[in-house]
Amino acid sequence: MNYVTIDQVTKGYENQVVLNDISLTLKKGEFATLLGQSGCGKSTLLRSIAGLEGVDVGRILIDGKDITNLSPRQREVGMVFQSYALFPNMSVFDNIAYGLKMKKVKNIKSKVKNMIDMVDLIGKEESYPHQLSGGQQQRVALARALVMEPKVLLLDEPLSALDAKIRKSLQKELKRIQKELDITTIFVTHDQEEAMTMSDRIFVMNKGKVVQSGSPSEIYTSPVNTFVAKFIGNYNVCNMEVFHKLVRSTELKGNEVAIRPEVLQLVSAGEDSLDLQENWGIKGVIKDVSMTGNVLRYEVETDESAFLVDYLHHRGEMFEQGARVHILVPKKECIIL
Amino acid sequence: MKSSLTFHKVIVGLLVIYLLIPLVGTFLFSIAGKWDHTILPESYTMDWYIELFQDERFYDAFRRTLFLIVMSVGLSVVIMLPTIFIITVYFSKWEGLLQAAAMLPYGIPPIVGAVGLIKVYSDGPIQIAGTPWILIGAYFITILPFMYQGIRSSLRTINAVQLVDAAELLGATKFQSFRTVVFPNIISGILVSTLLSVALLFSEFAFANLLVGGRFETIQIYLADKLNSSGHLTSAIVITYYSMILLLTGIVLKLTFRNEKNPVVSNKKRILSFFKKQHCNKNTAIEGEK
Repeated sequence: MNYVTIDQVTKGYENQVVLNDISLTLKKGEFATLLGQSGCGKSTLLRSIAGLEGVDVGRILIDGKDITNLSPRQREVGMVFQSYALFPNMSVFDNIAYGLKMKKVKNIKSKVKNMIDMVDLIGKEESYPHQLSGGQQQRVALARALVMEPKVLLLDEPLSALDAKIRKSLQKELKRIQKELDITTIFVTHDQEEAMTMSDRIFVMNKGKVVQSGSPSEIYTSPVNTFVAKFIGNYNVCNMEVFHKLVRSTELKGNEVAIRPEVLQLVSAGEDSLDLQENWGIKGVIKDVSMTGNVLRYEVETDESAFLVDYLHHRGEMFEQGARVHILVPKKECIIL
Repeated sequence: MKSSLTFHKVIVGLLVIYLLIPLVGTFLFSIAGKWDHTILPESYTMDWYIELFQDERFYDAFRRTLFLIVMSVGLSVVIMLPTIFIITVYFSKWEGLLQAAAMLPYGIPPIVGAVGLIKVYSDGPIQIAGTPWILIGAYFITILPFMYQGIRSSLRTINAVQLVDAAELLGATKFQSFRTVVFPNIISGILVSTLLSVALLFSEFAFANLLVGGRFETIQIYLADKLNSSGHLTSAIVITYYSMILLLTGIVLKLTFRNEKNPVVSNKKRILSFFKKQHCNKNTAIEGEK
């Protein structure tokens, strides 16, 4: 049973299409991520679900109910903004209680208390937003949305204004709370790593379209096109003709071949014991070595194009710049696009 | 380091002196008896104030000015606040138009404006030339730029659009979100615009003189009239109405911030800058009137 359904939604401004015939469905309790570069339409889609933007064509359904033409307040969705959008004139408690007061709900106090407990802000009830850190403010924003028990929680790049360490810990916490409440969540981000860690399902968007959807590992290991391959995992994407020349074989067919940098292996040029049953060998020279802490990234220049090769950073195993090497390309890891 | 600090202090000191001298001079002149060939007055007297406070015309003029100000500033807040809010939040594509309209008064000198207004409103359906109502209309336009800038920048500062989005998603109606979320956060901005407008209108002479003149004697027209009889008396008038403005401002500020649990730093800054502006206004006014 689909809980959220986006049915052929299209939206444009003047002469520009922002959402181009988007259809997707979510199950109850699913954590879905809209992933894409800025301007791909992911935030617009989220705002359309919230009712903050209208759509030109198409329908949006939540829990079987068509909400396409309802105002934001009738939609029973909660939203967390990148810039928090807390009410500066209200304390943490009043911010969280705001929606309940508007709905004239009973037991406001205990509900807000529970929520403050859940987002770990005990002792901050009487503080004002400007007295809190960015991470704390975002917890308040999250609590404010969750206390309304929305059918769907919308998160618009909620963590991108925070520094790396706090972001990592809030990622975990967000995921924990989401599982605990079993709340259907749509998360928008441009950070593929964040999308990978948090999502049950990822929708990769480009130019107003969903180009691929699937579990994080599906998206990562079998990208459907060059855009996804490059955006999601730094794939080496190589033109097929060029690839044929490099490996001196025309075994693979198709337009392009994509290979993840971490499945490639480097062997010194002098070594003879190459396993050419399972792999192809490409001659090259190390052009550059960069390190991101645990990963060493080699840029290897071949006759035709450059390849990225990732290695886990082990002590003492390092190729120098300018070293002549063979790149071993595992045949089964080549993805044809 | 230390010498540069002294240098800064000297500059600030000179500036303060420069700004205060006309005020102090006016004040001294208003309590001076004989003051011909000495640096400070030879004798002091309260006669001028006594004369002023016994003059019914002064009270009437003061009341009229207050009436005009309350009406035009009140009207401006009531009309401009919702207008600017609605345009900023819901019809942002028309913002340019509103901005241009709000800036127009800067481009029209009062004399030109006054002549035009008299022409338009002397006949036709709305014949209000020569009545205080035309002055209220003209004042509404005069303070438009201040009201517009003040309210709009307050809305920008608090990111009103997003706050309204958030409030509406939490179940508030458009009006509720304005009343509970936007308004409390821009009240200080509105207040600053209002006070600035009040101060400006208190010293407005050109429109008052051209549009209604002696038929509806405001404090400035009364002042201009007294200018011919006694410089001491005019100084006393100026000092009196400055004190009134200061008192008024102080009371309003105190009332507004007494209940505010959360005085945001930027509010304080805005009010400080307001006082500076008001100060400049006063001094130009003094120099213009003497």
